[in-house]
Amino acid sequence: MKIDSGKKGLIINILSLIGFVILWQILVILARNDSFNIPFIRLRDIPTPVETWYALADSMFTRTYGPGLTYGIINHVYASLQRVVQGGIIAFIIGVPVGIGVGYSKLIGNLFNPVIEIVRNMPPMAWIPLSIFIFVFGGSIFIVFIGVIFPIILNTIQGVKSTDPRLIDAAKTLGASESMIVKKVVIPSAFPSIITGLRIGLGVGWMAIVAAEMVIRSPVGLGYFIWNMGDLGRYAEMVAGMIVIGVIGYIMNISILFFQRRFINWAD
Amino acid sequence: MKNRIKILSVVIITILIAGCIESKKTPEISEPINLVKMSGQEMVQRLGTGEIAGFIMWEPYPAIAVTKGYGKNLIFSGKIWADHPCCVVAYDDDWYKKTNNSDEILKRMALVQLKSVEYINNAKQSDSPDHAQLINYTMQFGGMTDPVAANLSLADVEFVYNTNVEGTATFIQKIQDFGIFDPMKWNQSEYRNASDYANSLITNNYVEWAVNNKDEDLSKISLKEPVNIRYAYLVNDIHELPFYVGWQKGYYKDIGINIVIAEGAPFQNGAFEMQNGFKANTVDVGSLGIPPVIIHRINSNDFSNDDARVGVIAGMNNEGSVIVVANNITSMKDLQGETIGFPGPGTIQHVLFLMEADKEGLKVSY
Amino acid sequence: MGRLVMNSVSKKFNNFLALENVSFEVEDGEFVCLLGPSGCGKTTILRLAAGLEAPSSGDLTLDGKKISGVNKECGFVFQEYALFPWRTVKENIEFGPQVKGMTRNECERISRYYIDLVGLGGFENRYPHELSGGMKQRVGIARAYANNPKLLLMDEPFGALDAQTRNLMQSELLRIWEKEHISVLFVTHSVDEAVYLGDRVVIMSARPGKVKDIFKVKLERPRIRTSPEANIIRDSVLKSLSTQIKMASKSG
Repeated sequence: MKIDSGKKGLIINILSLIGFVILWQILVILARNDSFNIPFIRLRDIPTPVETWYALADSMFTRTYGPGLTYGIINHVYASLQRVVQGGIIAFIIGVPVGIGVGYSKLIGNLFNPVIEIVRNMPPMAWIPLSIFIFVFGGSIFIVFIGVIFPIILNTIQGVKSTDPRLIDAAKTLGASESMIVKKVVIPSAFPSIITGLRIGLGVGWMAIVAAEMVIRSPVGLGYFIWNMGDLGRYAEMVAGMIVIGVIGYIMNISILFFQRRFINWAD
Repeated sequence: MKNRIKILSVVIITILIAGCIESKKTPEISEPINLVKMSGQEMVQRLGTGEIAGFIMWEPYPAIAVTKGYGKNLIFSGKIWADHPCCVVAYDDDWYKKTNNSDEILKRMALVQLKSVEYINNAKQSDSPDHAQLINYTMQFGGMTDPVAANLSLADVEFVYNTNVEGTATFIQKIQDFGIFDPMKWNQSEYRNASDYANSLITNNYVEWAVNNKDEDLSKISLKEPVNIRYAYLVNDIHELPFYVGWQKGYYKDIGINIVIAEGAPFQNGAFEMQNGFKANTVDVGSLGIPPVIIHRINSNDFSNDDARVGVIAGMNNEGSVIVVANNITSMKDLQGETIGFPGPGTIQHVLFLMEADKEGLKVSY
Repeated sequence: MGRLVMNSVSKKFNNFLALENVSFEVEDGEFVCLLGPSGCGKTTILRLAAGLEAPSSGDLTLDGKKISGVNKECGFVFQEYALFPWRTVKENIEFGPQVKGMTRNECERISRYYIDLVGLGGFENRYPHELSGGMKQRVGIARAYANNPKLLLMDEPFGALDAQTRNLMQSELLRIWEKEHISVLFVTHSVDEAVYLGDRVVIMSARPGKVKDIFKVKLERPRIRTSPEANIIRDSVLKSLSTQIKMASKSG
């Protein structure tokens, strides 16, 4: 979802969001009044936007009741983000060189491609049981890593392969050796694709971390929060958590897009 | 271009460092004990590898962990609150309303419970002729292979059939105090206080009838026509052994009740049993901890059709949970900042742990 | 300095013969234009001179030395500019010197000089996408020059520009060339351009490319595009070229 920066587009965007929320409220209220029903779906148990809002406000910060405390959404967000950033950085550090190698060199490409092609089709969630078993700690960061690295690798490969051959010719005529060409032409030329790969990868990683957190043993994380609230039957908090997840994923995406537009704006 | 890359690198490195610093924060004095949900199997395993410093769980998991040498029993739940009610037998209100002879059925369920409990209490003695059979039942139901563990697990569970309104009211009050109820839902329930709620939840009639008829021959007072009862219980939970005994020894059958294991049973914990069992109308009668009943009859309930409403007809056991810790832990205080396994928020183990922490002035996160 | 000799050069690609037995020279400091129908191998000749391709038979020499591998003493100017979009004007021009390992000050000095020479003062920190076509090509020329080449290879450098800018750039190129006088091999489609710029004009035949005609343009510089002498030469060149184009279209 790309917010159209034109004023008119922005207004329509905001109105549609508001409209959706209103529709949601109406649907649930109607269902609770028995006005309509969808078989096999418990519509009335869905929290209304109003309930969700209150739940969000209540659970934003850590709450203490007697000896017990539940971490606030802020804490959970921070924990999840931390894992995504850490996993993402590792994926970037490993993924980009691999992508460059595979994209540039036929030999390296032939070596790595089979493994890449098979593993990239395993969704990060499929790694969860194994990673719980193998990793004493940091299993969730590994899941993020798996999610982030393949978009990075694939986009890097594409960026490298689509380097304008004329630029390489120009560099050659200017006296650049092959290693210099890779460093000074191929890599900068692939940079927009690399960042796109990072952006897409982080999106995948974000979704993966939430799934992973539902299973790993940590008291903080948005995934754990959602699952916990579900166990307690506190669905409004659960939905609030889901919305937070979506919003943060969105913010991550447009932040990188913004960075791309501002700083890497030479793309045609 | 180069300047921008420099700025970006600085930003990224800052985030990285901030992240690493955060995770290596020095523990403050009042760091909470972190409860993390996991299965009983995981608890035993993780305690063994040292990933968690302890867990609180129903038998037989404490017994298993102790006999394997992974840890030791720190506090029995009976120490936290003597004779506290634990698991109960409950029926689904929707089932009750639409079944003609539900009262007759429930009377007999209570009677089987009584008989099973009496059997177990006799067979618990090591010189009883039924002792070996009891140990076998325990191992089968609890998923154990070690008879020593089986014996150990029976030791601290008090099997009962009586209902306990007072204990239930205490639980409700605690759950209220710990802020576990969804305030909006609580208001919708219109219960005035803990006692009010407890009284509306529990009926003693069936146990009374069972006590009066306990010497009768089961087949003489069986139902005229056998009925199917979809029954739910918790996985590997020794607390619910009476159900297993009644089932295996044929008490239910003799009295005209055909036990069908409900869809999804055995459940991981009481929350699932309430939400995916009772509320979903896949369970007619089931056994589970009283706190999940208390919590989910409110939080997970749709008050326009009361689909999560249940009634408690008999007790199942008292006590029978243990806080197990690694061998180098000496007290609850040592658990600060550590990760402790528990079966999930809203379970009785959760509430008990909070109660104990409260006594010692410690903080618990969940 | 900057004498290019093509010696019976043939170039075969996978399934066709691009050049057949091409021989001509670019003398030291001479401006030679290559004209010919599309597909006759003009660009291939430039690439062979630059060392981006190797001849199938025959050889090319620059100042007596055989060209094998990328020739670092040639500067190449592309029709599509081929500027590095992530580098500023200044940084583009500094590419060659950087690659050579010169110090920052030296690179600075060189780029400063050529920016002024091509008339881009004030634009050194702009990015290519912010420039017009003509300005981009100035950068291309400056970048090629900054590498201190003996021979400048230009592949229809003004082909993508509109007529006004094109004429302007032709004059600019001559101005620059007067100051930094090196050999130039200039490929073009335009007879006007070839006659305006070149000391000699080489006409290529249709594929496989052979040298068909070589015209000497004995006009004094600065040249007047529409002078009677220029017109005469232009006519001859045009005639020769048309013949080649007709033959090219016949063979399809």
